[in-house]
Amino acid sequence: MAAAVPLLHTRSYSLNLFGLISRIQELDRGLMNNDYHKATARRLEHEAPSPFSPTEDAILSAALAHVPTHGFTTTALTHGARDAGYLDISTNLFPTGAFSIVNFHLVTQRLALAKHASSLQPHADIATNIRSLALHRLHANKPIAHRWQEALALLSTARHIPTSLRELALLSDELLFLAGSTTVTSAWYTDRAALAAIYAGAELFMTQDRSKGFAETEEFLTRRLEEGEKVRGGLDMVGKWVGMQAGGLVDGLRSKGVWI
Amino acid sequence: MSAPTLSRTSTRLTHRLLNPQPPYRCLSCCRYLAQSQEPANHSGPTPTTHFGFQTVPSSSKQSRVANVFTSVASSYDTMNDLMSLGTHRLWKDYFVRSINPGTRDCEEGKGKGQTILDIAGGTGDIAFRMLEHCTVVNKDHASKIIVSDINPDMLAEGKRRAREGGHDHSGRLSWLEANAENLHTISDNSIDLYTVAFGIRNFTSKALALREAFRVLKPGGVFACLEFSKVNNRLVEALYKRWSFGAIPLIGQLVAGDRESYQYLVESIERFPGQEELKGMIEEAGFLLPGGEEGKGWEDLMGGIACVHKGVKPLG
Repeated sequence: MAAAVPLLHTRSYSLNLFGLISRIQELDRGLMNNDYHKATARRLEHEAPSPFSPTEDAILSAALAHVPTHGFTTTALTHGARDAGYLDISTNLFPTGAFSIVNFHLVTQRLALAKHASSLQPHADIATNIRSLALHRLHANKPIAHRWQEALALLSTARHIPTSLRELALLSDELLFLAGSTTVTSAWYTDRAALAAIYAGAELFMTQDRSKGFAETEEFLTRRLEEGEKVRGGLDMVGKWVGMQAGGLVDGLRSKGVWI
Repeated sequence: MSAPTLSRTSTRLTHRLLNPQPPYRCLSCCRYLAQSQEPANHSGPTPTTHFGFQTVPSSSKQSRVANVFTSVASSYDTMNDLMSLGTHRLWKDYFVRSINPGTRDCEEGKGKGQTILDIAGGTGDIAFRMLEHCTVVNKDHASKIIVSDINPDMLAEGKRRAREGGHDHSGRLSWLEANAENLHTISDNSIDLYTVAFGIRNFTSKALALREAFRVLKPGGVFACLEFSKVNNRLVEALYKRWSFGAIPLIGQLVAGDRESYQYLVESIERFPGQEELKGMIEEAGFLLPGGEEGKGWEDLMGGIACVHKGVKPLG
């Protein structure tokens, strides 16, 4: 017993040294609390406050109206500034230039999803809700779909990648939350990552879609979501199997007198 | 004592007696004299400001700064290159490019071009770059630039450069000797873009100058300022302090023959408010800050050695 105590001590020390478990737990707790409360507050308020100032809002929404003709360019931004009663030089308000129009579109459309969520079927399952919400979000890209490649190009430049990824993560979180997902296990992460990948794929598909009313994009999204469900089911089973085997192993070792 | 030495000494003596040399003038003397002439009794509460590390009456800062720039005007470029190891050119290029002066479609006869006011731009460094940006990048041949400086020597240097660089044929440059705190010759709401590069530091009252900028700018007009600022990395800061307090006055002494002016320069940089404070002043003057939610309202260059601040005058 005297030997076991220092051993235990060393083990807990090494765990603390790497700080892995406690760090992950902390991170998990932090993320959960933070995002959960934010999202709840958002849902309760219904109208999320816009992160853009009235001036930015006026110029950027006017600029967005010029995107179908001028694309996601500084020209569209300049035209937007003029339409809002500002000068050409006033575009200095947006240090990221054309990217600010892309960001504006992403943020406003994400926030607009909450309104659509109230029209969802009350007792529909989560998968149906996710599909409906994701489709609604994709349809918001319709007027600028022929210019979306430019936006994707801007989103993937090194300077903007952190903003792009964060916005995609927020969108995925918003979709799952509004669909009614309440997971608190590790699936919280995998669900969000999978949905983000599926949505980004569908958006990319949409830029090449020439079908009427983007019917092919809709089919693409449906197929990907179904696959996602299948993979998730498979992974769940694999997880269960691994858990069973591990439990069995521990029990077996304990029966042999190993102190675990 | 041999005869030749004696005669040489006597010649030197007579020379000095017959042609009395003008009193040796340099900034260090001015500063020394000003200090010795300061009134002994501080009875009245005179408003003070800082001049480098010294606290001086507000009324005298203007003339002191004028002395500094009069004495450095001719060696301005060489000194800037040596002190900043050439990077001041990059900062100025970046500053102008990020502002993007000039209107795009004024060649079609739609626009009248912009009216740009370059404050403390005596040597034309920023003005020439903006002119070129308007013409070459935005194909704008109509925008006009008013170069303003408080110091006639700096303006003269700028005019000389404009002649040499072929910028003065366009008729788009005009020169104005004025104090940035009182631009009474410029009417309200008449300027599209107000720039001040490495100048705001020397203003006696920054708040007054900012208010004046707000007045002359059109609604939607832009205030842009390039200035030294606070370095945000401790290690870089240590190296930077070493360089600015150790090397710069020495370079000034060796190259421009004027240590005191450059001592003032580094002290004034040290005393200048940091990013956060200047941002607050710009906001207080009524400007909208760029960047929105994530933006800080300024942009650091080289880790904060220099910094670009911008503000947009709101409508109505």
